[in-house]
Amino acid sequence: MIALVARSLRLKVLLLVMATTAAALTLSAIGLVIYDLRAYERQWTNDLGTQAELLARTSAAALSFGDRETTAKDLAVLRVRPRVMAAAIYTRDGDLFATYTKPNRTNEVFPARPESDGYRIEGDELLMYRTVVEGNEPIGTIYLRALYLPWDRLRDYLGILAAVMVASFGVAALLSGWLQKRVTQPILDVTGIAREVMAHRDYSLRARKTTDDEIGELVDSFNAMLAEAGRRAEALREADRRKDEFLATLAHELRNPLAPIRNALEILRMPESNPAMREKARQMMERQLAQMVRLVDDLLDVSRITTGKLGIRKSVVEVQAAVRDAIDTVRPFVESRNHQLEVQLPSQPISVEGDRTRMAQVFANLLHNAAKYTEPGGYITLSLAREGDEAVVRVRDNGLGLAPESLVAIFDMFVQVDRSLERAQAGLGVGLTLSRQLVTLHGGTLAARSDGIGKGSEFTVRLPLAGATLPEIDVATPRGRGTQSRRILLADDNTDFANSLAAVLTSRGHDVRVARDGAEALATAARFTPDFAFLDIGMPKVHGYEVARRLRELPAMAECVLVAVTGWGQEDDRNRAREAGFDRHLVKPVAAEDIDTILDSF
Amino acid sequence: VKPWLAATIAMFTVAFVPSALLDARAQRAEASESSVKAAFLYKFANYIEWPPAAFATPASPMVIGVVGADEIGAELDRIVPGRAVNGHPVSVKRVREGDPLRGIHLLFIGKGQGSLAQLLRSAQGQSVLTVTETDRGLEMGSAINFVPAGERIAFEVSLEAAEKSGHRISSRMLSVARRVLGKSS
Repeated sequence: MIALVARSLRLKVLLLVMATTAAALTLSAIGLVIYDLRAYERQWTNDLGTQAELLARTSAAALSFGDRETTAKDLAVLRVRPRVMAAAIYTRDGDLFATYTKPNRTNEVFPARPESDGYRIEGDELLMYRTVVEGNEPIGTIYLRALYLPWDRLRDYLGILAAVMVASFGVAALLSGWLQKRVTQPILDVTGIAREVMAHRDYSLRARKTTDDEIGELVDSFNAMLAEAGRRAEALREADRRKDEFLATLAHELRNPLAPIRNALEILRMPESNPAMREKARQMMERQLAQMVRLVDDLLDVSRITTGKLGIRKSVVEVQAAVRDAIDTVRPFVESRNHQLEVQLPSQPISVEGDRTRMAQVFANLLHNAAKYTEPGGYITLSLAREGDEAVVRVRDNGLGLAPESLVAIFDMFVQVDRSLERAQAGLGVGLTLSRQLVTLHGGTLAARSDGIGKGSEFTVRLPLAGATLPEIDVATPRGRGTQSRRILLADDNTDFANSLAAVLTSRGHDVRVARDGAEALATAARFTPDFAFLDIGMPKVHGYEVARRLRELPAMAECVLVAVTGWGQEDDRNRAREAGFDRHLVKPVAAEDIDTILDSF
Repeated sequence: VKPWLAATIAMFTVAFVPSALLDARAQRAEASESSVKAAFLYKFANYIEWPPAAFATPASPMVIGVVGADEIGAELDRIVPGRAVNGHPVSVKRVREGDPLRGIHLLFIGKGQGSLAQLLRSAQGQSVLTVTETDRGLEMGSAINFVPAGERIAFEVSLEAAEKSGHRISSRMLSVARRVLGKSS
């Protein structure tokens, strides 16, 4: 029963209504009964008192003149009061003078002496005494004994109460039935819809709204939630689809450069190949490798975007410099497609606060897209201007252009306007997403504009100007000690990477040692006392931070330059590295040039 | 114990004690009769509506006259002091034949009074309610008459006589009366 009630709202409501009804009825009945018992007592004593008074007056003369028969006759009037069991009149001296007993009753015992005026309830009898007065003189006492049966009334009351209770419960049952229709049924409907949605994944289902009360609100909210869930499910499906496509593209893109590289390797191995062929093969390998590195860099940036770890290092940057960096990067590609590139840079330096490398990445990406989506022999312009307190960079082309509906979608992850074209042109479809993210991190905006398919497109970057046009301070300026031989420790669990890098560094005249994990790094360092230690953070046995801390405790290592090598360039990582005692921080993948830069700066 | 002495004592006891007891009882009955009648006289006043002119003021005394009944007079003297009827203090007045009945409200004429008829006429003329204790008292013109009723004293009432002297007698008192003579009409 309890389990049933716990599961059914209807039964709860029914119980509630019934409990309320029963409580209200019981309380009011108790109140009424108490009131009625008191009223009954008052009424009955008044009634009997009046009777006693009447008898006292009537029988006063007979008592006064000692006429027992007349007194008895007077008392006999009480025959019409069936509840009066007995009556008596006492003389002034307290002697029994005349009596009355209800017909058919015998053995009536009268009190030997009367009591003082008043009444008294004894069990189910009411005893009453009243003085008989003649003139102003008391001449005797009248005594009445009557049935006092409030319980009869009580019984009647309880009967009525029971009837009312039954009727009320009936009404309560009807009410709860009505409530069930109005409350429970809509809730059950909602539950049913929820089940159906769960079963069939059909988010187009909607619960029917029947009332405007809280239930109606529930239904509305439920429907809104369904709509939202539907949108989410759709978005998830879409994201899933894009990711699948992305993975396919990625595999393709990573596989593509491998064939030319293998071919080049074959050429290098061939004994009959001449130096010109070898140089051509080497250049091809470099190009393909650069393509792969760019792909993987993009991939890393994508994962940084999705995990929210994409960060920039801000300093005051001259936009012209970033633009020049970008042009340097894309020029080979632009030229390979025979485009004409026109660059308009103001002679007055325009400075913004930001990360020069990332800004260059954005501009390069826009130029790359322009070159990619324009038929060979196209015309591309890049202009930089100061508009209000913004630096504005516009990249225009006369290429394929964009349909209006694509203007927003192109900034979504893994979206490419024309996948058939993409097959030919390569790319992961993350460039614009990444660019917009980077511009946003700089506090700026990136927008696309096009007059339509075939009419070219224009991308506009707006960056807030730096407060003051300070010259850029390049901390990584080489000090020109490039030829000095250094003692270098490389610690990385990727031994291929460590060994190849060691080979490059050794070829440049440095003394290099390699360690495969943290423990080995500590042991080697103690023996070798390097000038520079490049420590991978995620090493087995002892991680990089710990290695750095212990190395710093060695007196021989006080002068050693410690460089942390991590997968992520987050500010947190940098802080942690600094605290552990690192002097510098490099983000993977590390190239020999990065190491050169650091070696040169000390 | 000698048998003859015992027998003698027994004889004396049987012969004298009952007669002595009867004597005492007769005396007590007489005294009781007087006191009952005196009490009745006083009580009658409660059930009688007097003519308006009977009392000069609401505090005027109510006078019970007694003639030819010394014992009842004495008994009244004993019970009346301090008593009042409807606010009128009750007093007792001895009356002799020929005395004016002025100021008397209720006149009791005892057995010992000879000229009953004359007294009754005189009282009736002066709005005095009369009470007698004679056989056929009502027929002679008395308003209330005591009659023996076994061991008790009862009374009878003549409405005609009461009306003639200007009095009305309460029905409650009439309900106790042994006999009620109706009005003349």
